[in-house]
Amino acid sequence: MTARIYKVLRSSPIGLFLFFLLSCEPFVNEFSDLSEAQMYTASPITTVVVNNNPVVMTWNIRFGAARSPFFGDSCGDSVILKKEHVEANMDKVAAKIQEIDPDIILLQEVDISSKRSGYVNQVQYLLDNTSMNYGCFASVWQADYIASDGIGRMNMGNAILSKYELSEAERIQLRLRTDQSDLVKYFYLRRNILKVRIPELDLYAVNIHATAFATDDTKQKHIGKYIEVLSEINTAGGRFVTGGDLNSLPPDCDAIDFCEYDMCSGENFHTSGAEPYHKEGSYFDNFPGEPEILQPLYDAYIPAIDSVENNSPEHFTHAPSTSYEHWERKYDRKLDYLFTNLSGGWVQGTDSTYQSLWELSDHMPVAAALNTERN
Amino acid sequence: MKNLIYIAILSGQLCSAQNWFPHSAVPLPEKRWDVGIFQPFRFGVSEKLEYSLHPLLFFVMPNLSIKLSHKDVGSWSTASRHGFFYPTPLLNMLTHEDKFGMISPEFDPIPRLLGLYSDWLMTGSLSPSTYLTIKTGLSAGISFGDLDERSSIDLPLVYHRLGVFYNKWALRLGVDLTGQIAKKLRFLVDGDAHVLPGFDGDLSLEHKGVLIWDKSEHFRLICGYKFVWGRFPFGTQARILPYIPMIETWVPFIDLQWSGTRI
Repeated sequence: MTARIYKVLRSSPIGLFLFFLLSCEPFVNEFSDLSEAQMYTASPITTVVVNNNPVVMTWNIRFGAARSPFFGDSCGDSVILKKEHVEANMDKVAAKIQEIDPDIILLQEVDISSKRSGYVNQVQYLLDNTSMNYGCFASVWQADYIASDGIGRMNMGNAILSKYELSEAERIQLRLRTDQSDLVKYFYLRRNILKVRIPELDLYAVNIHATAFATDDTKQKHIGKYIEVLSEINTAGGRFVTGGDLNSLPPDCDAIDFCEYDMCSGENFHTSGAEPYHKEGSYFDNFPGEPEILQPLYDAYIPAIDSVENNSPEHFTHAPSTSYEHWERKYDRKLDYLFTNLSGGWVQGTDSTYQSLWELSDHMPVAAALNTERN
Repeated sequence: MKNLIYIAILSGQLCSAQNWFPHSAVPLPEKRWDVGIFQPFRFGVSEKLEYSLHPLLFFVMPNLSIKLSHKDVGSWSTASRHGFFYPTPLLNMLTHEDKFGMISPEFDPIPRLLGLYSDWLMTGSLSPSTYLTIKTGLSAGISFGDLDERSSIDLPLVYHRLGVFYNKWALRLGVDLTGQIAKKLRFLVDGDAHVLPGFDGDLSLEHKGVLIWDKSEHFRLICGYKFVWGRFPFGTQARILPYIPMIETWVPFIDLQWSGTRI
């Protein structure tokens, strides 16, 4: 009996410590420069044979909101979507993934526990409803509560899904914006690069969602860090496929100012005294060199959509979700990219920008087949 | 300034959603009153009747409760407590765009909501200076209009208290233990459960530990913590309160309370 009492007493402080430790998770997750990504597995696992020409796709799925007029990135006033609405959209996304049948998907704006999307874990949802088997996830925006516009609980991030096993998944923190107050910055997005190894293909997959709305040099820092991460893999003799929503225009793009097309009623830009002069996220010349910011990627690596075609309208990947209602524009700029350093590059003729899927997100997926055979 | 007022009100609501003072079945003595910054104003109308209301919240969330003393059951004192609260004005203040908008403006206006509750309390003496109170009760949430489920505030304490309006009813259970540590120092530990059968996030368990220093007959200092664990639509969450987000830390709750006798 005495031993039992002693055991209880001895374990109590530990129990009490754990009890309190559990209660001390941060309100907003601020992340270190380098951290582990969250790993996921599909239920059930689908048996696959290694494909020498794996199809890679990048898609910003806009947290399953499709073209809903969300307040934050379009001229809408919707904040909290109905769960059944999100699930119906995710079903369509999953069906298209099955149809395109990629081997690797780089996803941006994936919610795993957000009030705005009915707390649907979209990584698990896609794994369980497609033939993808493994996933990793890195939060971009994780907070118990965003006390603004009724957004509430938030966990949104980047994900990589694969038919093959994943290892060494890393979340690489990108610099925060410097054009925000401390209060806004605390509750704001913490963008990152998600890097993972796919041993069966001897390949790294690297996914980025660069800043969209910064008016300072944050985008330059994000793309600079991205190039640095890719260069490290390349210099070490590694092979990679990479891409994502770079929120940057291709080099030599004719239009760099979309303020008038993205303008909502009541907004005013490009007039004297207008503050800000340009709409955040719609102007691509905020700092010297921004229009050509992606040139180093085109110079060093092989794009899925080559530099001759990347400014043609059939490869536009984005327009704000309410642009169609306002301007009958489904897409009007290219922001989403795929690159590789494989010597074989991409299988010719396999590249595609799926503009027919414009109703499923404000971004359209880009996909192409890699040539993984070594020369 | 308006935003700071919102924060103060919400913080007060969060901290005093269940007040920090013992829920004894024994009403305040006749004409005796007490009030704290985050505590309700309580007034002993007679030996068998006590009024209570939150003055800080009253103008944005009208509320009132009465405690009625009943016949002893054996050595246990018994009482019932009945009250209402009307959170609509407060919720409408929190329903707006931009910073400090806790509820999306797409749900504006929040319909008129009336919360009613009745509790049964029994207090017994475990020793000359230690008292145990057990309590149980029912809450009802009446909505005079369509209340969209997406308008919930999914935070500890708040979610389950306002959950009664989405679920229509809730069950409350609790135990308080109070005692004397020294001549002027008392303690309170308690545990409470909020059960919302069938609701998505149907349970909240709360515990608090408080030290009460009776500086004089008319003034006391209260210091403590609250632990809350709950089930939510996104899973479970545990948190020690009060919690300060930007510095990511828990700080002890401190309240001042004054009391006196109306002559």
